[in-house]
Amino acid sequence: MLPARQPEKEEVAAAPAVPYTYCSRPRALPARPKYRAARDAAELEKEPIRYANLMYDRRVVRGNTYALQVVPVSTQPSPLEIQRQREARKRALARKRAKEQMQPRTPEPVEGREHVHVQTELYLEEISDRIIEVDTECQTDAFLDRPPTPFFIPAKTGKDVATQIEEGELFDFDVEVKPILEVLIGKTVEQALLEVMEEEELAQLWARQRAYAELRNAELAEVQRLEEQDRRYREEKERRKLQHMQMLQKQKETTEKIAAWAFAQRYLADLIPSVFNNLRESGFFYDPIERDIETEFLPWLMTEVEETLERKVLGRTMLDSLIRTVVEKRLDAFSRKPLSDQTEAPAEESRPTDAPHQVVGETDAADQPVAEKEETDQPVPEEQPSRHISFRLEESDPAGTEDLETE
Amino acid sequence: MAHARISANLPPDIDPTKAPIAFGERALPKLNEELRSPELLTQQRALMALCDLVHDPENVYQAIGVGFLDNLKTLLLHHDSTVRQKTTEILYIMAMHNVGSGMISALTELLDDPVDICRKNTHQIFEMMAKLHEGAVGILHAGLIPLLVFKLKTELDEIQELILDTLSNCLRVEASEALATGAITILKEKLKHSSAAIRSKAAWVLLEIGTHPEGKSMVCEEVIPVLVSLLEDTDPEVQASATGALMFATVKPQGRFSALGAEAIPPLLKLVAEETSKARLSAIKTLTMLAELPEGRKTLLDHTDTFQQCLNDPCEAVKRAAKIAISVIKWKPF
Repeated sequence: MLPARQPEKEEVAAAPAVPYTYCSRPRALPARPKYRAARDAAELEKEPIRYANLMYDRRVVRGNTYALQVVPVSTQPSPLEIQRQREARKRALARKRAKEQMQPRTPEPVEGREHVHVQTELYLEEISDRIIEVDTECQTDAFLDRPPTPFFIPAKTGKDVATQIEEGELFDFDVEVKPILEVLIGKTVEQALLEVMEEEELAQLWARQRAYAELRNAELAEVQRLEEQDRRYREEKERRKLQHMQMLQKQKETTEKIAAWAFAQRYLADLIPSVFNNLRESGFFYDPIERDIETEFLPWLMTEVEETLERKVLGRTMLDSLIRTVVEKRLDAFSRKPLSDQTEAPAEESRPTDAPHQVVGETDAADQPVAEKEETDQPVPEEQPSRHISFRLEESDPAGTEDLETE
Repeated sequence: MAHARISANLPPDIDPTKAPIAFGERALPKLNEELRSPELLTQQRALMALCDLVHDPENVYQAIGVGFLDNLKTLLLHHDSTVRQKTTEILYIMAMHNVGSGMISALTELLDDPVDICRKNTHQIFEMMAKLHEGAVGILHAGLIPLLVFKLKTELDEIQELILDTLSNCLRVEASEALATGAITILKEKLKHSSAAIRSKAAWVLLEIGTHPEGKSMVCEEVIPVLVSLLEDTDPEVQASATGALMFATVKPQGRFSALGAEAIPPLLKLVAEETSKARLSAIKTLTMLAELPEGRKTLLDHTDTFQQCLNDPCEAVKRAAKIAISVIKWKPF
């Protein structure tokens, strides 16, 4: 590959004006099989060419490339080498014979000559184990930018041919562009229309709402006005009704007042004479002397009369008590008498006994107002029931005793 | 490792900031997984891709079915502002298609976000949610109204507009919370703002407040003169909203008196006379209210021909309103 590279480098170093040619075109190497296959078999079967991996190819030089091991030149071969050579020759001859027809080889050496490896280098080198090392340094310039990649202009191959499309040959622009334009403009316009429609719709909605609001407000105002009117009328009605009621009330009061006044007048027309009459009758106008007589003289008179009468009554009462004691004594005396006499004459003597009894009752009643002063009054009412009994017991008495009592 | 990409240069039409979308049904689940990845770039790219996808309502439904909302909720609190911004944008687009009332609590924290766009998107989401009844109720229940009212004072103009919209939709349902936080004073200032949009929206909010009885009394007290001055504003939107607000404010007698005192009738008549005014209907209604007062009736008896013209309006509601107005003006007590 070395010789192949150099011209390439030269080419690059010089100027990229000359088109580049390979002396050996780069090709991918087929894989070398590990085992030699039989030639016939290999030729007969055409296997698909397997390309080798460069990394695992034994033919690739590895290791130092700056000091290669060149095959040592030997003019006097050692016996070992001679033997080897002999064997190699034999093999080669054998191969030769086998491949005589197939592979043209270098012709055999003419008699008297032999093929020998010859070093044809200009300079003879001393072969030694020690590898000649030379230290070289290389340094790129500091801060040098990577130069721009040169434009790659591929090699021109082929023939230059020109062609030209005249106007109107391919297509008619106006005709072809129509649908595209239609779509473009249509879409744009559609979008714009949508937006405008949206806004317009909204504006219409609000305008309608506004109009509706106005109408509604007007109606509302009308309603409120009518309400207000109604309220005023109602209030006015109420006020008038109230006024009327008050008026009626006042009227009623006035009539009542008038009636009352008339009535009062009439009622009190003869007030004064009647008053005077009443007063006179009740004795406000009195004669003082008469009054004096009435208030002082007559009571005194009456008291005196009463006292006199009382004395009389007292006398009678005294008499009564006397009679009574006598009668009681007699009763005691006559109590031993049988009762049959008493029953015979009850009816006869009941009536006369009633009359004096009543008289006695009357005197008793007259005695009672004076009872405070006389002691005999008290035993008198107590004696009345006993008198009833005593009368019955004493019915048998002779009339003499009755006469005494009636006195 | 082999990449799907062959060359280092991407094709010219691909957006490198978006994640590649898988085909068909796998698109959304894959994006879902990418959203959960710890790498920031992946998340951002997935969000950008998702943002484009949710314009289609079908994708929205599929996304919610796949379970995107939880991921998006966690991403709302991400430290990176781009992620937050994109997430809010996605939620905004999704809110346009349906309501996510579970998002409200998570979104509340974003209201204080330092990045403007995030806040703007958050407010947009609220505004979209408030447009539906359930959303408005949800916002009310979350107690966001005082916060929003407070924000009105401090935010940028754009965001103020969004807040005003949200408020107007929410207050349609109930107004007591806003009144408690003194919203009327703030709105009164906004009525004098330089931007016409803010003026008209503030007037609209006042209108919504005025639909409720307690709101009416508050509006009557303070705001009517300002509203009457706005009737002569140059911007028709502002005129329309101001007329609407007046319409509700004059329902109560004290409102009517203050409106009459502020001389509301001439500008209102001008608005009615214009054929193409948006405020026509509201102006007719307001004049009807004012005609119930004796002084108003007297003034309007001279102008019945304007109402007669309105009877020829193509809109049915205007015709009816004009008829009612004429009948009210010509009403006599006996």
